[in-house]
Amino acid sequence: MKAVGARLPRYDAHEHVSAGTRYVDDVRIPGTLWAKALRSPHDHAEIVSIDTSAAEAMEGVHAVVTYKDVHKNVHGHIEGLGVPGDEPLFAETHVRYKGQPVAAVAADNEALAIRATEAIQVTYKELPSLLDVRKAFDGDAPQVHHWGNWYPHFEGEMDRRQIRKGDIDQAFEQADVIVQGVYRPAAIEHIPMETQVCQVVPEAGGRFVVYSATQAMYFSMGVVAAHLNWPLNKLKFVGGTTGGGFGGKVDSATETITTLLAIKSHRPVRWRWTRMEEFLCSSTRAPWHMEIADAVTKDGWILGRKMLTLHDAGAFARFSPYGVTKHAFHHTGAYTIPNLEFNGYVVYTNRVPTTAMRGFGVTSVSFATETHIERIAQTIGMDPVELRMKNATRLGDTSPNGIPYVDPSTVPVIQAISDAAGVELSAHSRTMTSAMRSGEDLPEHLVAQMGNPEDH
Amino acid sequence: MAKHRGRGIAAIEYPTGMNQNGDPSQAWIKLKMDGRVDVFAGTVDIGQGSKTVHSQIVADTLGVPMDWVTMDTSNTDSSAFCMGTFASRGTFIGGNAVRLAAEKVRNRILEIGGELLEIDPGDLEIIDGEVIAKGSPDKKIGVGDIAGAATFVKGELISGQGTALKDYATLDPETGAVTIPPHSAISYAACAVEVEVDEETGDVRVLKMSQVYDVGCAINPTMVEGQIEGGAIQGLGLGLLENCYPYYPSNDHRGGQFGSYLAPSMEDLPELECIILENPSADGPFGAKAIGEMANNAQPPAIATAIYNAVGVWVTELPITPEKVLRALEAKAAGIPESVTTGKVVRYDEALSITSHQSADAVVTFAV
Repeated sequence: MKAVGARLPRYDAHEHVSAGTRYVDDVRIPGTLWAKALRSPHDHAEIVSIDTSAAEAMEGVHAVVTYKDVHKNVHGHIEGLGVPGDEPLFAETHVRYKGQPVAAVAADNEALAIRATEAIQVTYKELPSLLDVRKAFDGDAPQVHHWGNWYPHFEGEMDRRQIRKGDIDQAFEQADVIVQGVYRPAAIEHIPMETQVCQVVPEAGGRFVVYSATQAMYFSMGVVAAHLNWPLNKLKFVGGTTGGGFGGKVDSATETITTLLAIKSHRPVRWRWTRMEEFLCSSTRAPWHMEIADAVTKDGWILGRKMLTLHDAGAFARFSPYGVTKHAFHHTGAYTIPNLEFNGYVVYTNRVPTTAMRGFGVTSVSFATETHIERIAQTIGMDPVELRMKNATRLGDTSPNGIPYVDPSTVPVIQAISDAAGVELSAHSRTMTSAMRSGEDLPEHLVAQMGNPEDH
Repeated sequence: MAKHRGRGIAAIEYPTGMNQNGDPSQAWIKLKMDGRVDVFAGTVDIGQGSKTVHSQIVADTLGVPMDWVTMDTSNTDSSAFCMGTFASRGTFIGGNAVRLAAEKVRNRILEIGGELLEIDPGDLEIIDGEVIAKGSPDKKIGVGDIAGAATFVKGELISGQGTALKDYATLDPETGAVTIPPHSAISYAACAVEVEVDEETGDVRVLKMSQVYDVGCAINPTMVEGQIEGGAIQGLGLGLLENCYPYYPSNDHRGGQFGSYLAPSMEDLPELECIILENPSADGPFGAKAIGEMANNAQPPAIATAIYNAVGVWVTELPITPEKVLRALEAKAAGIPESVTTGKVVRYDEALSITSHQSADAVVTFAV
């Protein structure tokens, strides 16, 4: 009896749809306090002063925390990958987006916790805000950060992600047509049914148990430990059951602040974001601005691509440099384009930080590439499916970063979708396979880019 | 006013695992004294069904019934490290971790079984929970008996651990070139969408989505189809409905509740067709590749193209709302050309705006 390949039901499906699954918010610990955050009302402002004394004096309020309570307030989620941190857990000198946490409280109940956040006095001096990535590079643009409006720490201290392959100038010179287009997918919400939620319980021996909805228990535990400067054995994450993530629960948005409140109050603390907070203060998929110029021959070969990408990171980098690198690696889509000049910037704006979401970095470029290829076909008067087959990645073709494809499937998936949709392919395309290029499928301009798939 | 139909096709690719690798998943397995299998891994099941898929991988690697296997991913004290459930890495990398752990357990079961049966372990196999001599199926012993003997006679806990880790791919910052593949595999897909566009209201309805996915080998075809169908509807939302900032880049008019943020609902559901192609990967567990994230990538361009084929206008800012469709139709009716040709350059959309920007010469740094 084989399990692999069998159409087996998901082990937890019945419990999920019949209210049997116990999620983080179903955990009930006696004596639990409610957490609430005081959030920035401004897109961009300097913090002149923070006075928590009135909130601290309220009966039933057990802890108030600000940046002063965090050992390492600024910690980057992917510092281990060489992306320095730029985002404070709590705002200290500035707020850079509406909804940014400035302080948090733990109180006997939710209503009291809300009143306590309202009792915290913060004086702001409003600053001009930047929202349009296209204006970020202007000399008179409002400055989101003191170092500027785009991320400066790609490898080699480059301020952008680059791809350079082949001879782009020659490709544009040889082209019969150059097709230009601009593509702009929007920010969208993850909309998990379960909002961001966390429950922290102090245990014997100074350990803290963190009930977390994270998509990555060890990763989130590492984030908390880094902010607190704690060894990992002081924390125990309990999780593994998440009410929808789609990338939005990698941010570890609640765990550190809830743990700080539990430490300070010596009580169990729960922080459950409202639906409004989930919509307005949790991270989103990034809006992207992509400009493509393709060098094309009139018989449908794509000789080269110049591309400029502006990734709207929101106020802080989070995973954006990673996302732009992945985007760069896949900016030719399912096709082989031998000459490339790609520049991608992580641009800061005064909006909620954007983050990973299903398809991170690539969803955007799939939209741009596939729409653009239709326009190329339209421009030169060629069938768009035939244009795709012609330029489809084949065994031994190389990716934008020079790696030979070992098991490409562009050809069979287009053949199969053509069958399914009733699209008639040419005889040549009907019999094409993913095998290495030869004959009319191997024009001169594709010879030099080829690699040996056996190498990998 | 008329409704018009159009069809659009898109093809995509998507990498398996974290970009540039270096993202381990680990697992360890122990046998209870009746041979039942406890797997401790860190992969969070975010609804995609990784616990079920991992159980299938462990069951077949060991040769025991699926219902012998329990996956425990509940906490960081007992579970092994996992980088996380993201980057389409659960089935491939998490799956390889449990497979590697199960291979070690299987080898130990065969060794002890060989001692008990007095047969070379190389001549034994495990089928449906029994260790059986190849070619002599009457010579056999249950995995439960082996686990019991290990516990109570040999004084041994049968266990095994596995780590899936691919080396980090360093890149050249000038060219982006890497020395090793910066992914574990690449999956491919294509999507065909049929839409109906109402010229008068600008409303777009997706009538049908056909989709083809090459996911290597499907460990569980039903759950692969679940990913494809769920992703398709998210792709529909990306293409037509969802936007945090309806007047982007302005951040006014943000929808702060379900009533003011349009996500797809059941009334938007088109006819769905899923086709799975199997093109086994060399390194994935049982030939698998990823399916998770790519599932919402092909629909938005296919929808934009279908709209063009229906009413002859390109909308390349997502989502393609009725307002954008109507504005594009008005521009077309006013005779504004969809592209401008200058020499051999054919320009769609606004002028390329920032290509002249050069990296700042001044060194900029986060450090204060």
